Amino acid sequence: MTERTVTVPNRLGIHARPAALIVRRASVFRSDVRLRFGSDEVNAKSIMGVMTLAAGKDSQLVVIAEGKDEKDAVDAICELVSSGFGED
Amino acid sequence: MPDIYPDPDNLTVAVLLEQTGERLRLSPHPGCEGGDRMVQSPDTNRPGLCLTGYTHRFLHDRIQIFGETEITYLGRLPSEAERRKALAHVFCFPVYCCIVTKGLEPPTELVDCCRASGAALLVSPGDTTPLIRDLTGYLSEVFCPKQSIHGSLVDVYGVGILCTGRSAIGKSESVLGLVERGHRFVADDVVRVRRAGDALVGMADATIGYRMELRGIGVVDVATLYGIRAIKSRQQVDLEVRLTDWSEDMDCERTGLETEFTAILGVKIPLIVLPVLPGRNITLLIEVAAMTTLLRRSGRNAAVELDKDLIRNMIRRLSDPVGDQRLPEAEDPSPRAGSAS
Repeated sequence: MTERTVTVPNRLGIHARPAALIVRRASVFRSDVRLRFGSDEVNAKSIMGVMTLAAGKDSQLVVIAEGKDEKDAVDAICELVSSGFGED
Repeated sequence: MPDIYPDPDNLTVAVLLEQTGERLRLSPHPGCEGGDRMVQSPDTNRPGLCLTGYTHRFLHDRIQIFGETEITYLGRLPSEAERRKALAHVFCFPVYCCIVTKGLEPPTELVDCCRASGAALLVSPGDTTPLIRDLTGYLSEVFCPKQSIHGSLVDVYGVGILCTGRSAIGKSESVLGLVERGHRFVADDVVRVRRAGDALVGMADATIGYRMELRGIGVVDVATLYGIRAIKSRQQVDLEVRLTDWSEDMDCERTGLETEFTAILGVKIPLIVLPVLPGRNITLLIEVAAMTTLLRRSGRNAAVELDKDLIRNMIRRLSDPVGDQRLPEAEDPSPRAGSAS
């Protein structure tokens, strides 16, 4: 299992569009990918799940992956979140 | 309007008369039928200015409309020679069809010119402007851009859905499922689409009609199987639903926040790409796509509304991180303040 913490940098947080981007990126990997925010943990391949996190700006998200490509999956999701999803 | 329009290459004056003669009250002037002359343009022209001698940019490839202005102008010319000279300005071009409106008597000189050049001379008792409008309406249908599309067209709650995808992906079966649920079938396999202004109108091929092929069963006739309520002769194309084979790395829309578009004959319409998977009820999904289209037209979009709720929720949490932990009832710490009412 690989996990790493990443900060949500964009003003609007993980709203629908960033959630869709995360799900899309996560779905590429075979590993089981999850996101933890506070006491909530959801499947990163489920759009509704990711949105229920309601992770606003400066939230600390923990990206967890388990499987053959877990390292790549965590790298990819962390990179996507830190990029701010192309938003301000 | 007729259901079948000729190809522009086959539109002779005789065909024009056959299809519109009764409705536009057009009839050929005796001796000037010119039935085999080809109609070359979807537009009409008033030759008034050309009659006065200004022939620059004269639109001779259009049907020439002699209304009251042109006929009275000719009538007021002092002599037959003057009238012939005026008409010569027009007839030195390859004019193929003239229409005299308002029940006016075509001047002898005009009849002679048409007869000599083999041009058709038609008369109508109708007023000029309505006649031009109706004639242009017919001609624009004939000359409009057309395309045959491999797919099926069905009317789902009034939304015209063009269902496309590779052969044998299940277009016909999905459409049949929609008919079974009470929707109206327009065409299968070959959809004849034409552009009418900013809209696309589709219909079945004239020969195929409401028949479709179902692999394993053969050809069936939807009109006979399901009756008149299950069919529709023409339908505006509002949405393309493209059925595709599902693959693990495919990039499909998850929220519906962003609408994909496709262009048919230069008209932009929304596109939904539906991956086909065992256990997915395509018929049901197409029905939902139609209802979603109707909702979006009326300003409702579930994805946008969810996004708004989500952002509002996150902003509230950020501005009051403690309040988020409490029960909603406990949000106001001073319930007695100003509670006299």
